[in-house]
Parts: sequence; structure tokens; C-alpha cells
Amino acid sequence: MMTSAASKRFLRPCTWVYAALIALTCVTWLIGRLQLSGLSTALLVLALALLKGHLIGDWFMGLRAVRGLWRWAIVIWLIVPGALITLAFVLSYGN
Amino acid sequence: MQYKSQAVAKPYFIAAIGLFVGQILFGLIIGLQYVIGDFLFPEIPFNVARMVHTNLLIVWLLFGFMGAAYYLVPEEAERELVSPGLAILMFWIFLVAGALTILGYLLVPYSGLAEMTGNSLLPTMGREFLEQPTITKIGIVIVALAFLFNVGMTVLKGRKTVVSLVLLIGLTGLALLFLFAFYNPDNLVKDKFYWWWVVHLWVEGVWELILGSILAFVLIKTTGVDREVIEKWLYVIIAMTLITGIIGTGHHFYWIGTPEYWQWWGSIFSALEPIPFFMMTVFAFNMVNRRRRNHPNKAAVLWALGTAVMAFLGAGVWGFLHTLSPVNYYTHGSQITAAHGHMAFYGAYVMIVLTMISYAMPMLRGREAANSNRSQVLEMWSFWLMTVSIVFITLFLTGAGILQVYLQRYSADPLPFMVVQDKIALFYWMREVAGVMFLIGLLTYIASFFVGGKEPEAVVAATEGA
Amino acid sequence: MNATDTDGQRSNEVASAYPPGDLAIWIFILAELLVFAVFFAAYAFTRMNHVELFNQYQATLNRDAALINTIALLTASYFVVRGVVAAREGDNALCARWTWAAIAMGAVFLVVKSAEYAHHFEAGINLRTNTFYMFYLSLTFFHFLHVILGMVILAAVALKAQRGGYSSADHTGVETGASYWHMVDLVWLVLFPLVYVMR
Ligand code: HEM
Ligand code: HEM
Ligand SMILES: [Fe+2]
Repeated sequence: MMTSAASKRFLRPCTWVYAALIALTCVTWLIGRLQLSGLSTALLVLALALLKGHLIGDWFMGLRAVRGLWRWAIVIWLIVPGALITLAFVLSYGN
Repeated sequence: MQYKSQAVAKPYFIAAIGLFVGQILFGLIIGLQYVIGDFLFPEIPFNVARMVHTNLLIVWLLFGFMGAAYYLVPEEAERELVSPGLAILMFWIFLVAGALTILGYLLVPYSGLAEMTGNSLLPTMGREFLEQPTITKIGIVIVALAFLFNVGMTVLKGRKTVVSLVLLIGLTGLALLFLFAFYNPDNLVKDKFYWWWVVHLWVEGVWELILGSILAFVLIKTTGVDREVIEKWLYVIIAMTLITGIIGTGHHFYWIGTPEYWQWWGSIFSALEPIPFFMMTVFAFNMVNRRRRNHPNKAAVLWALGTAVMAFLGAGVWGFLHTLSPVNYYTHGSQITAAHGHMAFYGAYVMIVLTMISYAMPMLRGREAANSNRSQVLEMWSFWLMTVSIVFITLFLTGAGILQVYLQRYSADPLPFMVVQDKIALFYWMREVAGVMFLIGLLTYIASFFVGGKEPEAVVAATEGA
Repeated sequence: MNATDTDGQRSNEVASAYPPGDLAIWIFILAELLVFAVFFAAYAFTRMNHVELFNQYQATLNRDAALINTIALLTASYFVVRGVVAAREGDNALCARWTWAAIAMGAVFLVVKSAEYAHHFEAGINLRTNTFYMFYLSLTFFHFLHVILGMVILAAVALKAQRGGYSSADHTGVETGASYWHMVDLVWLVLFPLVYVMR
């Protein structure tokens, strides 16, 4: 079947996004495997996770093409718990 | 009224209102006993009157739900009820059994009643809200089965709508969960654990489905908004109700001897229980704003909106107030609980039954769509009187509760229970005054059925017509 | 070509006010995400008071299994994307094939996760063992249930596609199921690092 131009424009970046998600996952896994700790490592892992979530929301869920509040629904969801988790880790390292 | 058999709803509604009056009278009695300890002693002790107050509440709400279902289901299914005769028979059985039970509470000491009714064969008595003698409980199950058969067959044989299916699921759940009332283990922890499966999973689970579907029905009828839109809301609301409400049961398992993880599960899930109530509020106002017609029954619309707001306040806000385990550690079983219990029960379930009665009764009494203007004005007065009274009852009890928690459980040198009760008596007096106002509101409500009957029906102003 | 172009525009060029799929599923998704967000925050703040305990028992988790599972979910999500594209093109058979493939990846997740659970249960670990395991088991099991629900929804989509139920003009159902599935994936993407890796 021929895929239309519009579909290609959607699919091709999604394939790249998929590759990036797998790659980032491997980084996270490696950090876990080595049991690296320390505040900056933990926050790096969190940042990677939030970035991955953003890619899912933007591309797979198609929110890139939405305007208004819905466009930011997933981003907001990532930022709020992300900030709370960051706060908790910063505090736990502060002690 | 489109189907003849919808008429069976009428006796159910009348009985509901009658028992409602009884409930409030007993509420006033126990409210007075709170401040005048020996009032009516030894004729009607506090524990007996309290039991009558709460049991009448449950029984009249059940009458209301059944009446609502008998009215709603034929219209949704687009056919007559399978057996109107069975519905009337069950009405009388339920009414007589209910009346005998209440008389039993009032005339025989509770332990004597237990003995008389053979409680030792299958002990189920003695637990709050489930005090009924075992035979009454069996009677309730029989009535419920006959009722479910009647309504269920009507739905199955007729048009199936989301509204009637959700209602049916809610009613079936109500009946099934009641079966836990027969499970009464000796282990006190288990006893409490399963007791909540009835009480909590009723009001924060299956009853919410009943509430949602009746509200949806009345909104469809009065606003003319597309059924499709309303059904979508209903789906989301019930999904959220079940996700949060089922595990939310954990907010009763903090201090009864259950494992610690319930503090987490209960806190997290029940903290989200206000969401479906909030959605219901948004839903109701949204639908009314998007209405395609101006229904002449303004009172019914007012009740519907009132239900959505008050259920959110009573269940959502006042429930959230004490649902996190670190808070509940202090407030458990205090007047805060009573404050929440009153506003939630009134806002969600009393009001939804009154909404349905308000919508259906004019038709059941042979009118086209609505009562006369004069009757509706009086009904709306009663709405405000009762609603404002319950808000005050709630606020006074909340005040009493905060002081109680502080003096008795939080302050550096805590005072004994009865000493604290004396100190907060003023709040109990004010609660009693608000209770009298509530009774006046209820009498006004009843009066609205008898005024303006000879006047023409309310109609929508001509400019809004066509 | 024309029909798909209009459709492609809707999803790629001219911004729409609403996300793809039924709006009801999105409200549901937000509510679910909120539950998980609260759970995540509760985990993080509880950990703050038991850092040693959490670090000690986090080390007992199987990160390799979690890697496989993350890849399984991501792959499923990608397959779902392909299914959506196929539906937008009006190709029901292809849509069904990709969707079944996604469901198969979901099954991989369930199998691997069940093996992990079996391992823990053999070691006598349960919700009462300690606070870390309480959170680990609750969070992952709650997510596990969502994977199952997501698979059920996808199966409904796949079956309808097999019956030729979608077209390039009407494929909201596919997007609705897809959106829910991506949410399941999204939650795991935060859960995995938080519970298995961050220390
Ligand atoms: C319409 C819905 C509701 C009704 C009718 C209702 C009614 C009640 C009643 C009567 C009690 C007292 C039970 C007893 O101990 O005898 C109670 C307790 C409680 N309710 Fe609700 N409730 C509703 C919804 C909610 C919601 C949504 C929440 C949480 C957000 C909630 C939180 C609680 C809690 C935490 C308690 C226990 C209080 C204690 O520890 O003493 N309720 N509820
Ligand atoms: C429709 C209105 C009312 C509803 C839905 C209602 C509901 C309830 C419920 C659910 C309980 C049990 C609460 C718990 O276990 O925490 C209760 C208890 C009680 N109610 Fe009401 N009630 C209403 C009206 C009234 C009125 C008007 C009064 C009196 C002024 C009153 C006075 C009491 C008292 C004194 C208790 C006992 C509280 C205790 O044991 O400490 N109620 N009511
Ligand atoms: Fe509850």
C-alpha cells in the first residue's frame, strides 16, 4: 500500500523517536546496572525520563499538532511530579 | 408520563418522604439528647433514637432509589415495566417490614429484639447502619431480588441505554454488597473490615453510579442536550469513581488492626475520590448551560444543580478534609466525621432522590410537565431552607470537631472526653437550632405538594418558546 | 490521496484544539496520570526518610528485566503508532496486524514482570516486608493492571479493524486506544528510573 505524504511526515520522525527512546533507555539501564549514585546522577536519570515522556507525548500521542492547553497536558504532568521528585532527592541528599 | 407502569413510582416516593420526616424528628431528638442528656429517658434512649435516625435515612433513600428506577427504566427502555403488580407487592412488603423493624427498635430493648428474632441462629445485628434483625435483612434481600428482576428484565427486553445500564449495575452492586451484612466474623478486625465493604463501597462506589445515572436522566430530560454527550460524561465519571473508590476503602483501614500499607493505599486513592464528584459538578453546570430547551420545571433543575454542588462539598471537600491518614489519626470518629456524614449524605443521596421526585412527581400526579408557579416557588424555598440548614449543621459540627480534636487529642495536656463535650455544648445547641430550621424546610417542601394545585402549570415564557 | 491529505492535515499540519481520539479517554488519561503522579511523589518523599532502606532493597531488583520490559513497552507503543497510521490510510488489515503485534509486546511485559514477582514471592517478600517493597509492589502492580487494561482496549481495536470497522475518514477508535496505550507506556518511563535506578 502506498503511504500518503502526510502519513510519512508523521511516521518518519516517530521512527527516529523510537530509536532515541531505546537508546536513552539503555543509558538509564547502564547507570542502574553500575548502581551509580549521587544527586547529579539521580537527577540526570530523572531528566532523561522526563525527556522520554515528552517525546512520547509530543510524537506518539500527537500532541505536537494540538494547540491550546491540551498541547501542554503531558508536559505539565511531567514537570509537576518531576519537580516534586527532584525536591525530595535534593532534600534527601541535603541531610 | 409516557408509560402507565411508571405510576408505581408514586407510592415509593410518598413513602420516602414520609419516612424522611420520621428521620428528621429522630435527628432532632438525638440532637437534643446531646445537650439534655436525660431528655425522653428512659422511654427513648439515645442509642435507640440514633439507630432509628440512621436506619430511617437508609430505608427512605432505598425507597427513593427504587421509585426512581421504576420511573426511569420504562422511559429509557421504551416499554412498560415487566410486572407493575410485583412492584406494588414489594412496596407493601418493604413498608410493613420497615415499619415493624422500627417499632421493634422503639418498643423492645435491643437485646430482646435480637432474642425474639432468633439472632443467635445467624448473628448479624449490632453493627452501625446494619442493626436490622436478621429476618429483616433477609426480607431486604428478597425485595431487592424481586426489584432487580423487575427492572432488569425491563431493561433487557427493551431499549438499552447507558443511563439504564449504569443504573442497573449500581443497583445490582448495592444488592450484592449488602450480602456482606450477613458476614459477621468473631474477629473484630475482620468484622470492621467487611462492614466497610457494605458502608463505604455503597456510598463511595455503587451508589455513586446510581447518583450519576439519575442525574444524567434528569439532565437529559430537562436540558435536551444530546444523549451522546451526557453518556460520555457518565462513562468517565463512573470509571473515576471505581478507580478511586474501591481501593479508597482503605481510608477506613488505618487504625482497625489491618496492615500498614493501607495507610498509603487509603490515603492516595481516597484523596482522589473528590475528582468524580467534581466532574459531576462541572458536568451538571455544563449541560444546563448548553441546554436546548427551557424546561418549565425550574425546581427540578435547581435540585439537580444543587445535588452536584452539595455532593462535591459534602463528599469531596469534607471527605478530603480527614481522609489522609496523618490527619485521620487525630480526627477519626470525632464530630468532623459527623459533619462530613451529614453533608455528604444530604448533598449526594437525599438531594438526588429529591431531584427525581421533583422531576417525576408532577407527571405522576397527572400534569403535563411541571407544577404551577406558586408550587414551584414554595418548593424552591424549601430547597434553600433545607440546604442552608444542612450547611449550618455541617459548619457547627465542624467547629465542634476542631475544638474536640484539639482539646481531647492534640493539645499538650489533653482533656477527658466528657469534659470536652461540656465545653463544646454551645455548638450542639446551634446544631439543634439549625435542625429545627431543617424541619421547617422539610415541612415547606411537603406543603409545596398541596399549594397551587388548581392553578395552571408553569410554562416557559413565550419569548423562549418555539 | 485527498482524503488522507485532509486527515494528515488534521493530525500534522493545522493544529487542532483537541488531542487525537475521543476526548473522554483524555479526561480519563489525565485522571489516571494524576493517580500515578501522587503515587510517585509519595514514593519520593517517603524515600527521603528511609534513604538507606530504599537503597538497600532497590539493589535487589532486577534491572535487566526492567530493561527488557521498557523496550517491550516502547516497541509496543511504536507498533501502535504504525497501527494508527495504517488506520488513517484506511488499511484495516495492516492496522490490525500492527495492533496485534503491540499486544504481543504487552504480553512480553506481563510475562517478564510475572517472573519478577514470582522471584520476589519465593523469597517471601510481600507488601508488609518493608516500606520499599510496599511501594515497589503497589506501584508496579497497579501499573501491571493498566498494561492488562491497555491490552484489552487494543484487542478491541484490533478486532474491529479485522472486521473492517475503520476508514480513513473514521478511525477515532484507533486513536482512542492508542492514546490510552501511550499513557501506560509513559507512566512506566517514569516508574522505571524512579523505582529501579534513582538512588
Ligand atoms: C456521597 C458520598 C459519601 C457519603 C454519603 C459519606 C458518608 C460517610 C459517613 C456516614 C461516614 C461515617 C461512618 C461511620 O463511622 O459511621 C463517613 C466516614 C468517612 N468518610 Fe465519607 N462519605 C462519602 C464520601 C466520602 C469521600 C469522597 C471521602 C474522601 C475523600 C470520604 C472520607 C471519609 C473518611 C476518611 C471517613 C472516616 C472518618 C473517621 O475516621 O471517623 N467520604 N463517610
Ligand atoms: C437529611 C438530613 C440528615 C441526614 C442525611 C443525616 C444523616 C446522619 C448520619 C449519616 C448519621 C451517622 C453519622 C456518623 O456515623 O458519623 C447521623 C447521625 C446523627 N444525626 Fe443526622 N442526618 C440528618 C439530619 C439531622 C438533623 C436535622 C439532626 C438534628 C438536629 C441530626 C442529628 C444527628 C445526630 C445527633 C446524630 C448522632 C451523631 C453521633 O452519634 O454522635 N441529623 N445523621
Ligand atoms: Fe469511605
